[in-house]
Amino acid sequence: MIHRLSSVVAKSVPRLVVLVCSLFFAAPLLALARYSFQNVPTILLGWSTLFDKWSVTGVTAVFREEAFWSSLRLSLTLAAGTVVLTIGLLVPTALWVHLRLPRARALLEFITVLPYMVPAIAMVAGIMIIKPHARWFLNSDLALVPFYVVLALPFTYRSLDTGLRAVDLRTLVDAGRSLGAGWPRTMVRVVLPQLRVAIISAVFLTVAVVLGEYTLANTLLIQSLPPYQELFVGREPQAGYALNLLALASTTVLFAVLALVTRPRRRQSSLVRAIVSSPAHSSENPS
Amino acid sequence: MSIPPLTTTTADRGRTNGAPPSARLRRRLVGPAWGLVPFLAYLLLFLVVPAISVFVDALRTEDGVSLSAMGEAASGQNRAALLFSVTFSAGAALVGVVVGALLAYAAASLERPRWLRTAVTSFSGVAANMGGLPLAFAFLTLLGRQGILTKILSTMGWDLYAGDFELGSVPGLITVYSYFNIPLMVLVTLPAIDGLRPAWREACSSLGGTGFTYWRRIGLPVLTPSLLGGFMLLFANSFSAYATAAVLTDNSKIIARRIGFFLGGDVSIGEDAVGFALASWMIIITATAMAIYWIARRRSERWTA
Amino acid sequence: MSILHLRDLRKSFGSSVALEECSLETREGELVTLLGPSGCGKTTALRIVAGFETPDAGSVELGGKDITRVPAHRRSMGMVFQGYSLFPNLSVADNVDFGLRTRGDAAPDRRRRVGEMLELIDLVDHAAKFPHQLSGGQQQRVALARALAVEPRVLLLDEPLSALDAKVRSSLRDEIRRIQREVGITTLFVTHDQDEALAISDRVCVMSQGRVEQLGTPMEVYRAPATPFVARFVGTMNELPGIVSGRETVSLAGIEIHAPRCSGESAGTAGRLLVRPEDLSIGESGLRGTVVSLAFHGATSAISVDVQRLGRYLTVVAPSSTVDDLRTGAETTVAVDASRAIWEAT
Repeated sequence: MIHRLSSVVAKSVPRLVVLVCSLFFAAPLLALARYSFQNVPTILLGWSTLFDKWSVTGVTAVFREEAFWSSLRLSLTLAAGTVVLTIGLLVPTALWVHLRLPRARALLEFITVLPYMVPAIAMVAGIMIIKPHARWFLNSDLALVPFYVVLALPFTYRSLDTGLRAVDLRTLVDAGRSLGAGWPRTMVRVVLPQLRVAIISAVFLTVAVVLGEYTLANTLLIQSLPPYQELFVGREPQAGYALNLLALASTTVLFAVLALVTRPRRRQSSLVRAIVSSPAHSSENPS
Repeated sequence: MSIPPLTTTTADRGRTNGAPPSARLRRRLVGPAWGLVPFLAYLLLFLVVPAISVFVDALRTEDGVSLSAMGEAASGQNRAALLFSVTFSAGAALVGVVVGALLAYAAASLERPRWLRTAVTSFSGVAANMGGLPLAFAFLTLLGRQGILTKILSTMGWDLYAGDFELGSVPGLITVYSYFNIPLMVLVTLPAIDGLRPAWREACSSLGGTGFTYWRRIGLPVLTPSLLGGFMLLFANSFSAYATAAVLTDNSKIIARRIGFFLGGDVSIGEDAVGFALASWMIIITATAMAIYWIARRRSERWTA
Repeated sequence: MSILHLRDLRKSFGSSVALEECSLETREGELVTLLGPSGCGKTTALRIVAGFETPDAGSVELGGKDITRVPAHRRSMGMVFQGYSLFPNLSVADNVDFGLRTRGDAAPDRRRRVGEMLELIDLVDHAAKFPHQLSGGQQQRVALARALAVEPRVLLLDEPLSALDAKVRSSLRDEIRRIQREVGITTLFVTHDQDEALAISDRVCVMSQGRVEQLGTPMEVYRAPATPFVARFVGTMNELPGIVSGRETVSLAGIEIHAPRCSGESAGTAGRLLVRPEDLSIGESGLRGTVVSLAFHGATSAISVDVQRLGRYLTVVAPSSTVDDLRTGAETTVAVDASRAIWEAT
């Protein structure tokens, strides 16, 4: 009897937890959406005004702002640069470690935790110290790119590492070479296609990190998208909030597309695996 | 015609015989190690150098190297701020650990609906990465003074802002931080919970133990490294959080914020060196937390692998 | 005296039926193996006995008492799982001690008992080690000691050897049997490996698709299989297509063979005679065929003969000395001793 009661409790408590958490996670998003789409201040909000003034103008208002487009352009450029530098730096490194230096794998895993040991705000303090000495480089907006590569490192390296672990790299390379292909050809035709999914994950994660990065940009007075998101809220509340909603929605769509593209082969999709095995995932941390 | 081996295999070990073991090892490691140089150099330049610069400037005074700034950064108002931030981050981490672990357990153990676990992991992956900025604004629309939930609660008779509640106050911030802390904990804990084999539960049962016995003597002990690691991770995450705090509060007792003010030219923190000393302390604290995280993680993998 | 009695157990998982009318009686101190391919219900049956599943119908009795509704932690069963069931955070000694401590025994008694068990499995020097420091075989021995420490009335083993490599498997198998005999505990052993089953059991329960096909000693199950399934699953069988031609005779390719176990069949039925390789011999009279291959296995050899009139190859196992002069391609005759053969109608 007690046995059965305790199993009923054991079943319902987890469900309750999931339910409460779902409400907690949905509420802010819904509130933000309501605020963005409905032009009724909360004070006036009541049963009678519940369905008034819903429109998309709040959301579309931001598109008329030149500053929005220029900040978006900047962020996208930064993202592109970070992606290129990340792939160019990490893919060869990851391949090298897996093929020639397997003992260093543990070391490298530790290195991917390293960026989390230096909070973004502390890093930007360091950058400001260096700035006078490297004005030629650090004065440009694009100077953020190398630092963004570091911020995204945990995710991107994880993604590639997971992807490489899933393939028997050594055998593939040996097979390719024994069939007569040289190193470059083996890399391009045999190895990289296997990494397609991992590389795509890394790219998406990088873009998400860069488009959401606030700390460095704001402190260094660089007008990328996130600082603009904050600025715009000050100028036009509803449109500003709507912009933030757009940003949130875009990141979510980004991840959804990625999850679809990297469809689960095993129990978890490679995206989830990559994120799961990454030590810390919030862009709160790097930002 | 033989094709030279491309990757080191155990067969290679024979080639270097004749040399003493340590030299053999060195020879095998040093060669390929060169391939890591670009990557390590990059990290050195863009991660280590900024971090070291902070320490360097913290130790710099007019007469050379001195620890005085570090000392000053750990006393008086700065000390109060450090203590506040550590306590606050620990509190936020605790909430995240408890709820996150429960949610992870729920997702792992509930068989139906089948899509539940995937939904939880996917959402956690997204939520843990959600920018602090939009999140802060979202909470403002929910629980801010003009927030919709605030409004709903007031029509039910509960004035949220009657006391000194603010989204930027400790309970408020912890609530917002939980939004990305909980999913983060879920992501980190799920694999550990998966590692709890059903056979352990059943073996415990066949040996006369109840569910309570299992959790007390096996389940929780095995999960403890993982939970500890998770706590450290969430602590470091909360401690370093900047964007959310920037939007919601001006409280300079939050170290991240304080350093932000300092970098923006606010000299009430102290002189230059003190400001950087504060940043140095921040790095030390975060690095320690992450180091413990790392160790705990290795330990938990050993048991549940 | 029957100690463990399974009566008409029935269990379904959703739409798939795992067990149907499964009944079994064990005697005190005997080792009964549940043998069958995966999906036959053997593990389900074991888990029902252990208390991890409840049957939809039927009952489990232990020493006369119905324990079907008794929760798992109150049954007096020791269980050894397929692998990795040792508690990773406890040392070997603490693992073995677990059940004793849960029971509330006094410390000195526990220490003594743990010492006894460690001696029984010959791992006394490893008492302070942790599971991840042990090999697979050692871990299973500790699991066995842990299960036996609390002196359960029944020992349950769920494919304990499947996860181990071949060499370890056979030595551990004999260990388990030795210990089981020494302790004298009634044991249910689940496996899909028929070699294992035949080697260690007092009786074998062959199962298929949720039903018990045959319950008997290893010899009975091997020499006198009750159904074609058992005949095929245990050991190898030759299948000789033929027609029943009389009360106890089968016509194979025109030759009349005396097959006493086909007495129930009516004349004219077509089907197959299942004959063990060792019941075939190279002889003077019988089925004509050509030798296709010879495999020398030391004391015996396996000869594959193409019997054209039956349209198939037969495998004959005979003492090597008797087939010394046989060569591939040679014409030969296969004599059929069908006294133990069973008939399968098609």
